[in-house]
Amino acid sequence: MLILENLDVYYGEARALANVSLTLGDGEIACVIGPNGAGKTTLVNALARLLPVRAGRIRLGGEDITHLTPQELADRGLALIPEGRRLFTTMTVEENLELGCYRPAARAHRAQGLEGIYAMFPILRERRWQIAGTLSGGQQQMVAIGRALMARPKLLLIDEPSLGLAPVVITQVFETIKAIHASGVSILLIEQNAAKALSVSQRAYVLDCGAIVAQGSPEELRQSREINAAYLGAGA
Amino acid sequence: MSVTLLGQSILSGIFSGSLYALLGLGLTLSWRYLKIINLAHFAFIFLAAYLTYQLAGPGGLPPLLVIALVAPLFFVMGYAQQAFLEHFKVDEFASIIITFGMTILAETFIQWIWSADFVRLETHFLRGSWELGPFFLPKQEMLMSAAALALCLVTAAFLRFTWIGKALRAGLDNPQIAASFGVPNKKLSLLIAGIAGALAGVGGAFMALLFTLAPSQIYSWFGVVLAAVLLGRVGSATGVFAAGLLIGVSEAITMAVTAPAWAPLAPFTLLILILVFWPERV
Repeated sequence: MLILENLDVYYGEARALANVSLTLGDGEIACVIGPNGAGKTTLVNALARLLPVRAGRIRLGGEDITHLTPQELADRGLALIPEGRRLFTTMTVEENLELGCYRPAARAHRAQGLEGIYAMFPILRERRWQIAGTLSGGQQQMVAIGRALMARPKLLLIDEPSLGLAPVVITQVFETIKAIHASGVSILLIEQNAAKALSVSQRAYVLDCGAIVAQGSPEELRQSREINAAYLGAGA
Repeated sequence: MSVTLLGQSILSGIFSGSLYALLGLGLTLSWRYLKIINLAHFAFIFLAAYLTYQLAGPGGLPPLLVIALVAPLFFVMGYAQQAFLEHFKVDEFASIIITFGMTILAETFIQWIWSADFVRLETHFLRGSWELGPFFLPKQEMLMSAAALALCLVTAAFLRFTWIGKALRAGLDNPQIAASFGVPNKKLSLLIAGIAGALAGVGGAFMALLFTLAPSQIYSWFGVVLAAVLLGRVGSATGVFAAGLLIGVSEAITMAVTAPAWAPLAPFTLLILILVFWPERV
């Protein structure tokens, strides 16, 4: 589904990602974990074509997408749940969801898509006319998830879904991610909360200082003493 | 003061207020959605007015046909202007200076073609007034006010309910995320600039119908139209109409009870009070 080959990304002259390669299979869910400042969000933004790539290639379903625009990427079935939700905060919940299916090809599914999202998150149906910026953090995350699902993505990029949420809400969010994956969507999950991320993933990458420092199945990473100590925390 | 005089004053205030709204509508759109404070909007209005004068006066074309010609022409001009401003990555404040420069160029161009003297469109189109009891309803003003109201309502509905309107608001809120859901921000900017240009064209056509034209008058419209844009909240199509009416009617009543020279007193006092006590309103 998604293959990154030796990706280099710079902010000006500062290198943020060095030689990053990773693979996500069809229908797979993989996670990229790592500490704050490791370059996780840079990776997401490069993938979503919001940041330029200096060197390397990104391939999606066999096609080289390294230099496509974000709009062209949306047409190829990639949707983003960005860090900090980044909703259209002055617009209503329903308008946010509708923007998810803005692409002409997706608009036909608008009514059906809304029904699906409201069935998944009944609170959003109640709040459909509320301005999105006034929702609680957990509800905003629901809108961000719903907005991305409205695009009917083949590949979903999820960046730090647990950020700023209460533990009970985080558990719900990860349940939702599992359900989305079970429905056949390939997912690349970027998450600081390594324990949670590993618990839903089939494959994991550890990113630190802009480079992939370890990869493998969640079990393999958990069994590696160094990885465990450095990235998963004592209790993980 | 008689009730009839007061009533007629309010009517004339509604007419001039509608014109402020019509002239301000494109301006409020480009200010909010393009972050361009487009003073050249006034130049477009006057270019359209002179073109209307030329085509409908000496040219002899029916005014409604001229409006139908001028609107798409100025759509193209607005589009081209935005492409130019985007090419040079002009920001909100630089836009004031650059578009003011464009306005001076347009004024010079008008003087060169039509001279600095007054010109007046002579037409039989909708001459005269309807009479309603003691009140006179001039036909041309009525048409202009109806057009202003219709355009403001259609624009507001367009922004509120259509896919393009929603995409414009999303792009304003968060351009990167909007782009990642397929919103073509750049194309929409050019579209809204074209619409603003077309609105300037329509406004200019009515300006030619209602007023004697002189190139130097371009600047006399800045204050009152920008006041309507600000009072109505930048970007609001219904707001600019309501604010236009408020300004027009308060001016007309001030004129009726004091003297014409005092006309700007009421609206600008109101604007200053709002800017001082309720700055988040604009």
